[in-house]
Amino acid sequence: MSNLAIGLLGAMVLLGVMFLRVPIGVALTLVGACGYAVVDGWRKALTMVGAVPFELASAYSLSLVPLFILMGAIASRAGMSRELFDAANGVFSGWRGSLTNATIGACAAFGAICGSSIATAATFSKVAIPEMRRHGYDEGLAAGCVASAGTLGILIPPSVILAIYSLVAEQSLPQLFAAALFPGLLLATLYIVVVVIIVRVRPQWTPLVPAMTLAQRLRAAVGLWKLALLFFLAVVGIYLGWFSPTEAAAIAAFAAAVIGFATRTLSIRGFLDALLDTVYSTAMLFFIIVGAFIFSRFIVLTRLPNELVAWVHQVGLSPFLIVVAVVLLYFLLGTFLEEVSTILITVPVILPLMASIGYDGIWFGIFVTVMATIGLISPPLGLTVFVIQAQNPDIPASKIYRGTLPFLGADFVLVGLLIAFPALALWLPAALRM
Amino acid sequence: MIQFVARIFGYLAAFFLAAMMLLTVADILLRSFFSYPIRGMLELIELGLACTIFIALPAVFLRDEHLVVDVIDHLTTPFTVRILDLAGALVSLVVLVVMAWQMVPLARSMHEFGDVTSDLSIPKIYYWIPVLLGVVASALATLVFIARWRRAGAPVGPQP
Repeated sequence: MSNLAIGLLGAMVLLGVMFLRVPIGVALTLVGACGYAVVDGWRKALTMVGAVPFELASAYSLSLVPLFILMGAIASRAGMSRELFDAANGVFSGWRGSLTNATIGACAAFGAICGSSIATAATFSKVAIPEMRRHGYDEGLAAGCVASAGTLGILIPPSVILAIYSLVAEQSLPQLFAAALFPGLLLATLYIVVVVIIVRVRPQWTPLVPAMTLAQRLRAAVGLWKLALLFFLAVVGIYLGWFSPTEAAAIAAFAAAVIGFATRTLSIRGFLDALLDTVYSTAMLFFIIVGAFIFSRFIVLTRLPNELVAWVHQVGLSPFLIVVAVVLLYFLLGTFLEEVSTILITVPVILPLMASIGYDGIWFGIFVTVMATIGLISPPLGLTVFVIQAQNPDIPASKIYRGTLPFLGADFVLVGLLIAFPALALWLPAALRM
Repeated sequence: MIQFVARIFGYLAAFFLAAMMLLTVADILLRSFFSYPIRGMLELIELGLACTIFIALPAVFLRDEHLVVDVIDHLTTPFTVRILDLAGALVSLVVLVVMAWQMVPLARSMHEFGDVTSDLSIPKIYYWIPVLLGVVASALATLVFIARWRRAGAPVGPQP
């Protein structure tokens, strides 16, 4: 059997093993090590299994992942999501669909201090859904809107997914963050357009809510200083050359805690819980990263990525068809695979292919992140939908998926725009480098 | 009891995470206001990261929090899902045991060569200790899961 066939077989076995409910990190390690052994012998494969966790555990560049997660966890424990929701409501109040648009605006803003979509969706599910239901909004729309807007968390910098992508793809994280900003804001705008259309077509889903007074709006806007400060530390500080990404994450997490304690919105209990949440999700993520590194070493060993590029060009597929195939691949994987593992497994194979038709690594990072936002809300495994369903057990999952459908349309519009105009992502990093 | 042990691991890992954060903040403050950076920050952060991750890992296994693809839950009976969970735990156990077994010689050779870090001369074995302990404790946690599976007879899903 050729190495290429072993590589393809390995990928299929991996999907099969994961389908049988083996934890994702374990499945990746197992299949990756066995595949490596078939190609290059057991001795080297076993050594790799012992060495990779150690190499990764003490990799400085990985240290920003827990720190960024911590910042988001503290910000949500400190009730900053509530303040953002009120402030965004101050902007949209008075219009039909104001609460839905406020949710989207607040999620986008929260994305600027939180790098995780799950955390963003979980936080706003507690804040925005009860508010929308209280005012008689359609519950499918309410839940679907939070599930979709929550995905903005990974697109608007800082982003945990981009941090992990920058590790596997060996791309600059500051450039990735800069590249993600416009697509993130554009997606938020597209979501608002979706709401405007829904309001026209189904006005009964969004009853008119009494408008806030000017004084109320101004009072709500005051709460934004926390967000501004944290975003400044976590993101702007990197571009001013003050901090490395890891330092930015640490100081922003620290500042979030100080603000929380000083304004009495964060208790010691809440701070400890934020730390606990962070270490659990870091360890869980880390185990998947270890498995994915082992698996991708096996895949690279089989030369599957090079063979794939050679084959595609030999067959003479047009770049357009290649891009369509890649979009379909990510959409299919995203429907049942969790997003971090999707990115970790596919990037070593697909990035060389995309590079061969002229898309660069920074652009591809934004592209896979947008595809991840689609995977997060598409059935049957839409993780943000699960989070919302767990917190609102009385809203059936099917109803939430129905609610996310129009927003899924907006996601695909963004994918199309990114493909047609790569400058959408690449303009800002190029401008900042000047 | 299980939850109690998981929490102890969790708090210990949380301590190292908080230490990483505070150390970095201290370094930035000392550097900017007193131009006195902390020596060997990189090495300290790396040590903190290894401790945070590997001490939290057994807690993740104890809490059964690992991500699985659960498409099959909708296609088959709860009984089959339980059997698959047991199989998954057995596979996890094998992978963790192999990992630990392969780590020992690597750690030992680094120790025997007397490898130290470049700035602070921290012996490399200190980085291995949390890694090894974490993997062994995770294997034990998986054993606990398997033992409880047999005894409990009821699904041992994630606790709230």
